[in-house]
Amino acid sequence: MYWRAGFGIHPKSNVTLSKHRASVVEALFESSKAFTSLNIDLSYLDGIKPIDLKNFPELAREINQKGVKKILEFNVAWVKRLVNPSELLRERMTLFWANHFVCRERNPLYAEQYNNTLRYFALGDFRDFVKAISKEAAMLRYLNGKQNKKARPNENFARELMELFTLGEGQYSEKDIKECARAFTGYNHDFGGNFVHKENHHDNNSKLFFNHIGNYDGDDIIDIILENKQCAAYISDKIYRYFVNPKPNKKHINAMTEVFFKDYNIENLMRFVFLSDWFYDEVNMGSKIKSPIEYLVGLTNTVPVTFESERDLFKIQKILGQTLLDPPNVAGWKGDKAWIDANTIMIRLKLPSVILNNALIASGEHDEFKKKFMTKHKGRLPFKTTPDWTTFLENFEAVSTEELQDYIIQGAINKGTADYLQTLSKVSKREYCVQLMSLPEYQMC
Amino acid sequence: MDRRKFLKNSALASSLFFVPNFVKAFESVATEHLGYKRLVIVQLAGGNDGLNTIIPHQNDLYYNARPKLAISKDIIKLTDDLGFHPSLQPLRALYDNGELSIINNVGYPNPVRSHFRSMDIWQTASGSDEYLQSGWLGRYLDQHGKQSYNAIEIDEQLSLAMKGEHFNGMATNDFRVLYKSAKDPYFKNVLSHYNDTHLSEHNLGYLYQTMIDAKSSANYIFENTDVKTSQESYPQNSFAKQLKNVAQFINSDLGTKVFYTSLGGFDTHANQNSKQTRLLSQYAESVSAFINDLKRNGTFEDTLILTFSEFGRRVKQNAANGTDHGSANNVFVIGKNLKKAGFYNSLASLSDLDNNGDLKYSIDFRSIYTTILSQWMNVSAEGIIPSRQNLLDFI
Repeated sequence: MYWRAGFGIHPKSNVTLSKHRASVVEALFESSKAFTSLNIDLSYLDGIKPIDLKNFPELAREINQKGVKKILEFNVAWVKRLVNPSELLRERMTLFWANHFVCRERNPLYAEQYNNTLRYFALGDFRDFVKAISKEAAMLRYLNGKQNKKARPNENFARELMELFTLGEGQYSEKDIKECARAFTGYNHDFGGNFVHKENHHDNNSKLFFNHIGNYDGDDIIDIILENKQCAAYISDKIYRYFVNPKPNKKHINAMTEVFFKDYNIENLMRFVFLSDWFYDEVNMGSKIKSPIEYLVGLTNTVPVTFESERDLFKIQKILGQTLLDPPNVAGWKGDKAWIDANTIMIRLKLPSVILNNALIASGEHDEFKKKFMTKHKGRLPFKTTPDWTTFLENFEAVSTEELQDYIIQGAINKGTADYLQTLSKVSKREYCVQLMSLPEYQMC
Repeated sequence: MDRRKFLKNSALASSLFFVPNFVKAFESVATEHLGYKRLVIVQLAGGNDGLNTIIPHQNDLYYNARPKLAISKDIIKLTDDLGFHPSLQPLRALYDNGELSIINNVGYPNPVRSHFRSMDIWQTASGSDEYLQSGWLGRYLDQHGKQSYNAIEIDEQLSLAMKGEHFNGMATNDFRVLYKSAKDPYFKNVLSHYNDTHLSEHNLGYLYQTMIDAKSSANYIFENTDVKTSQESYPQNSFAKQLKNVAQFINSDLGTKVFYTSLGGFDTHANQNSKQTRLLSQYAESVSAFINDLKRNGTFEDTLILTFSEFGRRVKQNAANGTDHGSANNVFVIGKNLKKAGFYNSLASLSDLDNNGDLKYSIDFRSIYTTILSQWMNVSAEGIIPSRQNLLDFI
């Protein structure tokens, strides 16, 4: 569970594991009750008005360039938050919702605000969540909501609201989309990112939406969408495939749908999942391929790492195919097998040794020679890092070298590989840790 | 004089350099590379506005529907009623040489206007009412591929188009990195001990298979690619870099049948003109450099380039000086000895639009795929394109 609700486990938290399941789950929710927003320093925007940007193109350019850097800074801040979360489950859910309510925003102020809205509602009321998302400056920009006006409706948001955010493909007609778009006309935001409803651009005529007739606005439309049980089913399916198993199980998803449809309370749904017996079934262990972020955060959870250049954290996300705040399109990352191709598998297998051990994975063949060589050529490595092995050894003090794999690998190890591991002389915990992390098995969670 | 200098200066050296090429050519014949047909796909992601790409410059309906967006200046007029966007100037020579065929009104029944889904349809060659888990080029590989390097996508990630039911192409941005990583003795040992065949359906089995395949393909590409084959100067952008990579592979005579490239950013809901002008320039300049590169190496004749976008855009512009998602669109086919160069068909009516105000399609994109498979790749489309399609006669 700690791999699904968080990013892996320390042997030190063993104490909690031995407790009753219900109390462990309760503790998990209790510790995520609080909300700690994620903020970076945006004071450079203080006192700047939209008119200034118009009058001083030089200033506008400068602010744009600063914005690019700030997005990077926010990305790194987010990764660091995931490594050291104050509210573990809330952060895990935020990451999930970021690939559900997918949005790409280059203005750091709006991006930060959007990200914190995801975080705020992550375990809350789904109805309020969708309504809040529909009014976010970042979303109004990303899916052209602010260009959606009575005289010229823009359907982009209306379509994705139903296709990707609530109901799923094929659950509505083209007519529904047009009527839905009309209800959201007039949605806009001000310079500071606050929602503004422009009455003169809002279509006040009656709309026919899913067999309901009325002078609806956006909130009404969302209420009508949520009346459809399909919405609860769609979200439950997505949560199941993310938190439980990429292979959907109809029975379990139906049970989740019943729970979620009652009140659309996300916390209740997640509690139901974590308390269900099937969640702990053998078949669900190590069934999922880690996303690049899960992989990276999980790795640094086991062995704390300091990157000399924080940009490297960003580079790693990029080469592994998942840069936070930069999704490929509104459908987000596909996940699971799609993370892996010839290129990414090799990078994933090589990366732990590069980050933790000067690119060396002991194989018994000329290890001493290689170690000397690699140390000498350390400067050529793509990333300069300082792994904190002392903390690792402290955390894993009670674990013998042989037992290490139970903590580092989720699920079973392929037989041939297990036999090969047996032949390796386990010189040190540290070396064995790198060997384990360099296996295809380490990609699973 | 040291040895290297000697070799460099001596006449012998220059003749030596020719030998490997000659031997290589000889080998090619032996390994049935003769007449090796290659397909290069260029995907314009986001939905390129076809009406501002191939412009109906005599059509009042066009100008009325787009008061602020229609292009009237510097159109490169090709026929009495159609012309290029000014950014496509570098492609003019191809058009004049009969090396470009423009197919208008390409689409499919009941068009979907979501990027994701429509791209899905184009990549899987499905209808809009069916969902396929594999791509059309992936299924081509299922039947005719032996190694994942038989189809290469120049990207960090592999598109669904390149994923078969049992077999995938490979994605790589830098084949050297792949090669270096694959060489590690630890991986060699792990792989040589891999024996669990029953895992093959499982995610873990997939990881092992991908790794084994990556290793052998990385070796192959590294050992057979000669980067010096492409000296043509390309523009400085990432799409041009992709094409340059493809040219290096083609000119090195890799056993790769399909290459996949992509240029994104065409989702122009707002302030379309500046964005599209920039993107079409990147496209045209890069493609032009690519073709020159192939021509100089004598490989153009065996290369066919297909450019598509997941949909066209609405005829009417929107209030933000952009266009919303539409349906039918034009497709470019570039190659030598095209059967029907220039305009393959005329543009659909701008008055007889569908209910959404979009162009009606007249050519199913799957008939283009079918034609390429059977007339260019010389294979049957059965099992690759699920629906029966008519053959077209552009090649």
